[in-house]
Amino acid sequence: MTPLHLSYFMAFIISMTGFMLHRTSLISTLLCLEAMMLSLFIATSLCPIQLQTTSFMLNPMLILTFSACEASLGLSLLVASSRTHNPNNLQNLNLLQC
Amino acid sequence: MTALFNSTLLLTLMILTIPLMNLPLSMKPKTAVKMAFFITMIPLIMFISSNTESVITNWSWTMTSTFTMSMSLKFDQYSIMFIPVALYVTWSILEFTHWYMTTDPYITKFFKYLLIFLIAMMTLVTANNMFQFFIGWEGVGIMSFMLIGWWHSRLEACSSALQAIIYNRAGDIGLILTMAWMATNLNSWELQQIFSHTNPIPLLPLLSLTLAATGKSAQFGLHPWLPAAMEGPTPVSALLHSSTMVVAGIFLLIRTHPMLSTNNTALTVCLCLGALTTLFTAICATTQNDIKKIIAFSTSSQLGLMMVTIGLNQPHLAFLHITMHAFFKAMLFLCSGLIIHNLNNEQDIRKMGGLHKPLPITSSCLTIGNLALSGFPFLTGFYSKDIIIETMNTSHMNAWALLLTLTATSLTAAYSLRITILVQMGQPRFQPMPPINENYNTATNPIIRLAAGSIIAGLLISLNTTPMKTPQMTMPHHMKLSALIMTIMGLTLALELITMTNKSTKPSKTHTFSNLLMYFNTLIHRSLTLLNLKFSQNTATHLTDLIWYENIGPKWMTKSQTNPITTMSSQKGLIKIYLTSFLLSITMLLLT
Repeated sequence: MTPLHLSYFMAFIISMTGFMLHRTSLISTLLCLEAMMLSLFIATSLCPIQLQTTSFMLNPMLILTFSACEASLGLSLLVASSRTHNPNNLQNLNLLQC
Repeated sequence: MTALFNSTLLLTLMILTIPLMNLPLSMKPKTAVKMAFFITMIPLIMFISSNTESVITNWSWTMTSTFTMSMSLKFDQYSIMFIPVALYVTWSILEFTHWYMTTDPYITKFFKYLLIFLIAMMTLVTANNMFQFFIGWEGVGIMSFMLIGWWHSRLEACSSALQAIIYNRAGDIGLILTMAWMATNLNSWELQQIFSHTNPIPLLPLLSLTLAATGKSAQFGLHPWLPAAMEGPTPVSALLHSSTMVVAGIFLLIRTHPMLSTNNTALTVCLCLGALTTLFTAICATTQNDIKKIIAFSTSSQLGLMMVTIGLNQPHLAFLHITMHAFFKAMLFLCSGLIIHNLNNEQDIRKMGGLHKPLPITSSCLTIGNLALSGFPFLTGFYSKDIIIETMNTSHMNAWALLLTLTATSLTAAYSLRITILVQMGQPRFQPMPPINENYNTATNPIIRLAAGSIIAGLLISLNTTPMKTPQMTMPHHMKLSALIMTIMGLTLALELITMTNKSTKPSKTHTFSNLLMYFNTLIHRSLTLLNLKFSQNTATHLTDLIWYENIGPKWMTKSQTNPITTMSSQKGLIKIYLTSFLLSITMLLLT
């Protein structure tokens, strides 16, 4: 694997680990989600440049758009739940069961 | 001779407008009307002697090349006879107003309103095309509104004025419909062109004409505004709502009777409507306690009788009744106005009595008026009412309408007797020390003048008009005397009323039924509007807001989704544990 591939692969793995081992607050989870999306963006934009396939060059834009949507959705859910329940830590997400 | 005829008629109409212009030396309205009356005697005498009629057409308002309209005045039998009568009555009323409204600060404005009303009425009566007629029609409606609400700080006066406008407007729909039909089918609004079509007119324009007459002349269905219009001052009631404005609807039907006579269904509608009106209002009049309301209901009853005459295809008899009725009805209103003022604004007949000695002129004129109203032989009312009832008895018509009208005739005698007894006879029931004084010439001269009219005008008018249709000359004895018999029956049955003033009993259900106008006002003005408002509130808040927005819209979606989710979901929401196990399994996958 080239050093370039290694860099974004490792970034993805580290942020995924941070996503799954969150302890204090939900915001760190959302930040790690963003970092995963960022590494995916870099991967999908470097691939068509190297392989010179023009038909995949639009792909990173789509990923970026959808990641923005999901980030805003996650943030709004965070705000909504922190307003009604305890706004401090939100560790016990199983309390949000309906 | 036609020059004299035309010029005197135009001069009459012009003189009426002089007090309204801001000239430095303007004459008073009463003088103008008096001069106009005397000038209009000239064309009247010319008409009686040589049957002169004329149509004066002035400038043209042509809008398109196919539809022409011009200002034209038609002076035929109806206009020439009506104008002197109206001017005579108006002259007396204006003179009475000088006494009645002396203490009113806006008396000049009152006179101007009455004069504008008179001009609008003249426009209506002399109109040769429907557009000019409509101008006069609307003019009298507006002036009626302004005059009924003269004391506009009084709540009942404002609501009565509003009632008058709304009911008149409901009738105007009919008139506009007729005008639209005439414009599209007969291509003209001129009466001469309309009457040249002799083929049968369809029912729709004739029914809408009847609707217009129902609104303006207070026939059953659109009648409540007339008793409510008694909130205005007595001169207003005397001029508008007894002699001139309310006959405008009947006048419309008289003018357009060549159209009406072609269709028998329309005539039957007029007949039955008139019969219903006359009986309904006569029943209501027998139990009212306000003197002006009794006279208002008697006006309504006589208007129903005129409608019946139209339904019999006898417009000339209806017109005769219009002219004769104006005299004694205006006089009854003026007498009641004088009584009301003299008893310190007391209008309830249960609180009047024994006015025979203090007010001799007024009470004798009141008696003359009541006798004329019931059709006492050879007074004014007899010459029109008796002929109408004779014609009704001998014509081929609806027996139910005949029965109703005869019953109403006897009730007329009953409530007239009631007024006479309760107002004039017996012991006085009014408060002590009222300012009773009838020594004012301005108050009693008009009443005496109208009383003279009530006695001889019937004879004069009926002798000088040529009958257009041959009246029925021979009939059995009982038919000839039927009007008189019904009147005497009503009188004898009503003599029971003499004992009513010194017994106070709880009113029976029939009495309440008749006193509250057969609950028509309560139902239409209160219950129906409450129903409407409640329905609209239900639709707006309950249906739209509560149901559409909440139960069917967004909230139903959330409710319907969360229920299956809770039942079908097997996860417990332990996110950290799930994520940690995912991490563990990924690392194990990558290491092997």
